Amino acid sequence: MPYRLELTGITKRFPGVLANDNVTFAVKPGEIHALLGENGAGKSTLVKMIYGIMQPDAGEIRWDGAPVVVPNPKAARKLGIGMVFQHFSLFEALTVLENIALGMDAKIPSRELEARIRDVMTQYGLLLDPHRTVATLSVGERQRIEIVRALLVDPKLLIMDEPTSVLTPQEVEQLFDVLRKLAAEGCSILYISHKLYEIKALCDSATILRGGKLVDTCDPKQETSRSMAEKMIGAGLKDIVRLEGRSFGQNKLAVSHLSTQKAGHFDVPVDDVSFTVRAGEIFGVAGVAGNGQNALLDALSGEIRSDKDAIAIDGHGLGLLDTTGRRKRGLCAVPEERNGHAAVGDFSLSDNSVLTARDRLGMVVMGLINSGAARTYTGKVIADFAVKALGPASTAGSLSGGNLQKYIMGREILQKPSVLVVSQPTWGVDAGAAAAIHQALVDLAAAGSAIVVISQDLDELRALCDTLAVINMGRLSPARPTKEVSVEEIGLLMGGVHGATEAQDAIPA
Amino acid sequence: MQFRLEKRREPSQFMLYATPVAAVALTMIVGAIIFSLIGYDGVGAVREIFLTPLTNAYKWQDLGVKAAPLIIIGVGLSIAYRANVWNIGAEGQYVIGGLAGTGIALLTYGMTGWWILPLMVLAGMLGGMAYAAIPALLRTRLNVNEILTSLMLTYASVQLIYYLIRAPWKDPMGMGFPQTRLFSEAARLPFIIPGTIVHLGVPIAVVVGLVAWFIMTRSVFGYRMRVVGAAPHAARYGGFSEHKTIWLALLVSGALAGLAGVLEVAGPFQRMVPGFPTNYGFTAIIVAFLGRLNPLGVIVAGVVLAITFVGGEVAQTTIGLPNAATGIFQAMMLFFLLAGDILIKYRVRRVVPQPSQGAA
Repeated sequence: MPYRLELTGITKRFPGVLANDNVTFAVKPGEIHALLGENGAGKSTLVKMIYGIMQPDAGEIRWDGAPVVVPNPKAARKLGIGMVFQHFSLFEALTVLENIALGMDAKIPSRELEARIRDVMTQYGLLLDPHRTVATLSVGERQRIEIVRALLVDPKLLIMDEPTSVLTPQEVEQLFDVLRKLAAEGCSILYISHKLYEIKALCDSATILRGGKLVDTCDPKQETSRSMAEKMIGAGLKDIVRLEGRSFGQNKLAVSHLSTQKAGHFDVPVDDVSFTVRAGEIFGVAGVAGNGQNALLDALSGEIRSDKDAIAIDGHGLGLLDTTGRRKRGLCAVPEERNGHAAVGDFSLSDNSVLTARDRLGMVVMGLINSGAARTYTGKVIADFAVKALGPASTAGSLSGGNLQKYIMGREILQKPSVLVVSQPTWGVDAGAAAAIHQALVDLAAAGSAIVVISQDLDELRALCDTLAVINMGRLSPARPTKEVSVEEIGLLMGGVHGATEAQDAIPA
Repeated sequence: MQFRLEKRREPSQFMLYATPVAAVALTMIVGAIIFSLIGYDGVGAVREIFLTPLTNAYKWQDLGVKAAPLIIIGVGLSIAYRANVWNIGAEGQYVIGGLAGTGIALLTYGMTGWWILPLMVLAGMLGGMAYAAIPALLRTRLNVNEILTSLMLTYASVQLIYYLIRAPWKDPMGMGFPQTRLFSEAARLPFIIPGTIVHLGVPIAVVVGLVAWFIMTRSVFGYRMRVVGAAPHAARYGGFSEHKTIWLALLVSGALAGLAGVLEVAGPFQRMVPGFPTNYGFTAIIVAFLGRLNPLGVIVAGVVLAITFVGGEVAQTTIGLPNAATGIFQAMMLFFLLAGDILIKYRVRRVVPQPSQGAA
């Protein structure tokens, strides 16, 4: 029986970079095949060539044994290749059905399409009301739309790009059931992820890329997560080093009865949030995306003002200050969106350092920017956080996601803030870089800073945080020491069950 | 064979400077073809418009005088456009600046003193600022698009000229002509090169460009403008409020348009006349973009557009080209420039279908 997909000697060159260097691997029918690698290892480039978004410079793609050229995604779909992207392309104001209809290559009458959608949904247990507006759906539900859209073309190969980064543990399990069912019916799945335990749980084989080259194709069930991670980064993996039994200092950051206004139609504001973080403590905020995390970060960073005493450091109210005022008083923040929010893609890294570090590090003298100081500081961030960039003059947009995140985290951490608030610190970042970022956060806490980590990655929060709370529909659950809460409990809180007393008015997931 | 656009990893520095040159070249080529097709001497028209002003030394002074207001306004617009604040009404701010200067000149009529000109300049800048403050207020308070308000205010400003020079400011000795009296000596801009029409406004324009370049590249103000334009969300994160930036952008561009207005009225015109609005404020939009929103580029672009103005006049007399031809050439230049801009972020690649062969 021929392989479903066979890549031979695939090579893709970009100016200055060899994104894929002679990559060869094959996927059998009905196989769940993992594609593993650090950021910039060439995974995305490789799947883009399979899906026809890019063309290889050399090499051959065989489909069911016959050589093919995939000039564009439409041709890929025609062959039977479906893809679910990491970032969804959905119109929030339209319904599920309308969104799917817009993405179809062939014009299908809406009644017939709805019947087919319902078929696919019941067949795979992807339950969803086709007439609901996308804006009212959770991220997990939105992903289901993308999966349904891909399944409608009866794919023989489904490419999933980091599908679980935004799901609750329960949603991940549901997704895996769907994927296993698909595979059992003979559909091959190419699964891109950083989460090694998921790959061990789900995949039949794994291809590991590093620096555009194929490192190994292995059976993940025979490997440990650690051994795969080490193949991926090409070196031994460091554990987070932290002192056991350290004590916390005084209350550093105090948030009391913080609420924000609903800014846009689809914005989820925070509602009466209170918590305190002590010096040396890492406070985790878990929750499914779109439950008020963005508003919480903006309110803490100063992009949204609040009552004076809703946010205080060492007892001094900061609620009325803007981001610059708060930074001067030691509160730095890193928002979730890297490009366009935490950094300006068209600007050099050096100019991006001016964005948040200009006052704390004296880069401004009499209204003029000391570009030498900015360059020196940027060089230090690049060196200390092992950012892969040509230098301070590289534009932020030219860095891969993980490297840009390392730069942004470094830019804030090296300012030695007394309070650091970060959202999704390792989102889309590979294991090696994530470990480095985690270690830097732990070190900053050890030096006496109070840290708030807002994340959807439970494993990250459990590994990193001393205290955990869950945000759901803008409300924060009571904080508990991480050791005392189980994954199941957090999962339920993420789904909106706030304990017995509030169970009646909770919104089921 | 097939062509397609591929995104560059880094924006091309070469294309950043090559596309304005290419836009000018394409304008000359296409212009020659178009005017040949409609029965003029196309090549001659291009020669007269683009080359004669440069080869004829006598025309150089005209270039300087035409370029000065274009550069001053263009610099202001380049600052506002950097911040994505689309002040389209520089013409109106230029007119109000000119009127404010005229007001001072008429108030001080017959007086002497070194302070009159600086006072006029100050009044002109404040006038332009005040007129630009209206769109700023409407935008920040009521979220009204500044493109519409600033543009519409231009037409209101022109009516204000007509009113003032027909009634309260009318020259009492003017035999009914709708114009003010000729400014007294102290309210006229001095000529800096004897025997020419080159006035003080010309070096001022160059200084404005240089100072603006320094501020835009080195100061927090310039950084603010650039970051707000490039990524508004990141600007807020960096502590730059959007409203303050809109105000700054409109006030600065309004002040510079007003400055150009007062220098024009005190320089070449020396009185307020109905023909004072000469579309410098609109042409400066092309200047700002042709100059890559970079004040140094704006200086060069101001000269290029001045060439088309001066050359257009030459071509009217020598080839009989209609006056509108100048506008056509200027518009083509902006068109080619904006079209060519895609090459800064993208490259054109020839896509050759890959032969499917066994051995790779």
